[in-house]
Amino acid sequence: MKKMMTAGLALALTSMLAACGSNNASTGNTDNNGAASGAPAELVISTWGFSEDFFKESVYAPFEKEHNVKIVVEIGNNAERLNKIRQGSSDVDVVYLSDYYAQQAIDEGLFETIDSSKIPNLENIYDIAKAPLGAEYGPAYTVGRLGIAYNPALVEGDVTAWSDLWSKFDKNLAMPAITATAGPMIVDAASLAAGNADFNEDTAFTKLKELDSNVVKYYSQTSEYVNMFGQEEIAGGPIMEMYFKDLQAAVPDAKFVAPSEGAYAVMNTVNVVKGSDNKELAEAFINWQLSEEVQAASAKAKVDSPVNVNVTLTPEEAVGVTYGADVIGKLRKLDMSFVNEHITEWTDRFNREIGG
Amino acid sequence: MNKRAMYLLLPGLLFLAAFMLVPITLTIASTFVQDGKLTLEGYLHFFRDGYFNRILLTTLRVSVVTTLICMLLGYPAAYYISRASARKKGILLALSIFPLLTSPVVRSFSWMIILGKKGLINSFLVNTGMVAKPLDILYTPTAMMIGLVHLFLPLIIITLLGVMENLDHELVRAARSLGASPFAAFRKITFPLTVPGLIIGGILVFVGSLTAYTTPALLGGKERVVSTFLYQNAMTLNDWQAASVIAVIMIVITFVVVGLMNAWANRLNPKG
Repeated sequence: MKKMMTAGLALALTSMLAACGSNNASTGNTDNNGAASGAPAELVISTWGFSEDFFKESVYAPFEKEHNVKIVVEIGNNAERLNKIRQGSSDVDVVYLSDYYAQQAIDEGLFETIDSSKIPNLENIYDIAKAPLGAEYGPAYTVGRLGIAYNPALVEGDVTAWSDLWSKFDKNLAMPAITATAGPMIVDAASLAAGNADFNEDTAFTKLKELDSNVVKYYSQTSEYVNMFGQEEIAGGPIMEMYFKDLQAAVPDAKFVAPSEGAYAVMNTVNVVKGSDNKELAEAFINWQLSEEVQAASAKAKVDSPVNVNVTLTPEEAVGVTYGADVIGKLRKLDMSFVNEHITEWTDRFNREIGG
Repeated sequence: MNKRAMYLLLPGLLFLAAFMLVPITLTIASTFVQDGKLTLEGYLHFFRDGYFNRILLTTLRVSVVTTLICMLLGYPAAYYISRASARKKGILLALSIFPLLTSPVVRSFSWMIILGKKGLINSFLVNTGMVAKPLDILYTPTAMMIGLVHLFLPLIIITLLGVMENLDHELVRAARSLGASPFAAFRKITFPLTVPGLIIGGILVFVGSLTAYTTPALLGGKERVVSTFLYQNAMTLNDWQAASVIAVIMIVITFVVVGLMNAWANRLNPKG
């Protein structure tokens, strides 16, 4: 019996370790700061894991060469990376975050203010992107939009408005989880669909509750949506335009619409972390990220929608990219300080009144 | 034991103390303090909350059912493997451990392909006309349980196998020669002697299902379990106080269940 216990314990520990191992795999890449003395300076960039190859080749490599610097990348989702900076356990210089998480960091005093004279390319980007969270903080380097994608074979008629989520889908809808970047936008869209001109929390939640029985899953990662769409588990739902190309790859007839009430602006910002030893280098990097060269390359590779007004795309290149002054001009923008004030309460209400 | 040999334990003990005992103690201690005062408020808040109780019940239900299914499926399988010839045993053992060697993510994705609306099972049922519309299996607690059984069945098979291999079959033969039916011999001899394996395997499966994160997150739908709720509090709401309270509740449940199962084992097999 005793032997058995030991064996059992050993097994339990091994499986726990194995579980830890797989969790940490995604945050690799951080340990290779073995720069010897005299080696180039090191700039630590914290970003998402998508399109890593593109960033390495077209964004980091040219910058490293020009500024004699070694770029070290830290990978993770918004929440994980923001938490790391909160705990003070990382030496990140530049951080990419969606506006919603960046606002939290600003409220907690985690960002360095920037010197816009060091970032001349700010002149060349759309107004909406210049200072989404205040002029002292970093710009949005890309502005995407949240609209509705759907599979025409599974939906009757055309989807044209946010309110169609309530009428055209039958137990085959995917919605963003409340804690996802798009979560608060959905609360706002529900308020619109309930017929409010001004935001009304109570009617928004009542409206979302009505929708719940048609929802298959509240997704927190877009990859979940893409999978469900490809497997026809869902007929559609709100999603960011940048992922539309993945949907089309699975369902060639898939459609993306900007709802008539207005698609939501999804802004990803780039900021300098407080306490960075390389502030000027970090600002130079932000300037490079906004340059026509990088912006055009990432738009053409369908990695990020451009904010630089000088970037021109052919209609073909613009598929799945949020592009053009008129498109950008029509976007609805949430007040991120308002969202952050209410998000804990909304999450709680969403959990209790609606579902996962 | 030789006193000097005790020092060999020291590195391991220090490691465990620094990276396990201290953090766990701190976590537990932090849940009783709010605004500098000693209080149970953190816990009362959770247990008064119908929403949290519902999550807890779902989690317990999924874990208990998973454990029972694993016991039912694992016991005969382990018995068969333990009686097989050495060569066959090696192959069967390797096959049954195989699920442990693949990542939970890959495993869950395979289940998505099998259980989905266009998946193997539903295609078969629809094409043969057994059902008119695809069944909803994926993104339900049932899918969660299927995934968890697949994940944890090897644990119970391995633990049972260890016990069954050491089982003295002369005892069974003796019982038979004294007139016991095969079933009576199993019920009075084999089963009680293998109970320890069943209990330890059961504990491993139960604790594993209770704390599993990846499988419920990927295969479960709107229904939430404690571990995904903990993740939401810690990672997206940054509410570490609530997350710690949930963690402590999970630890306590684990200990209670281990205690109960041991008591049960003692009753079934007092000399185990």
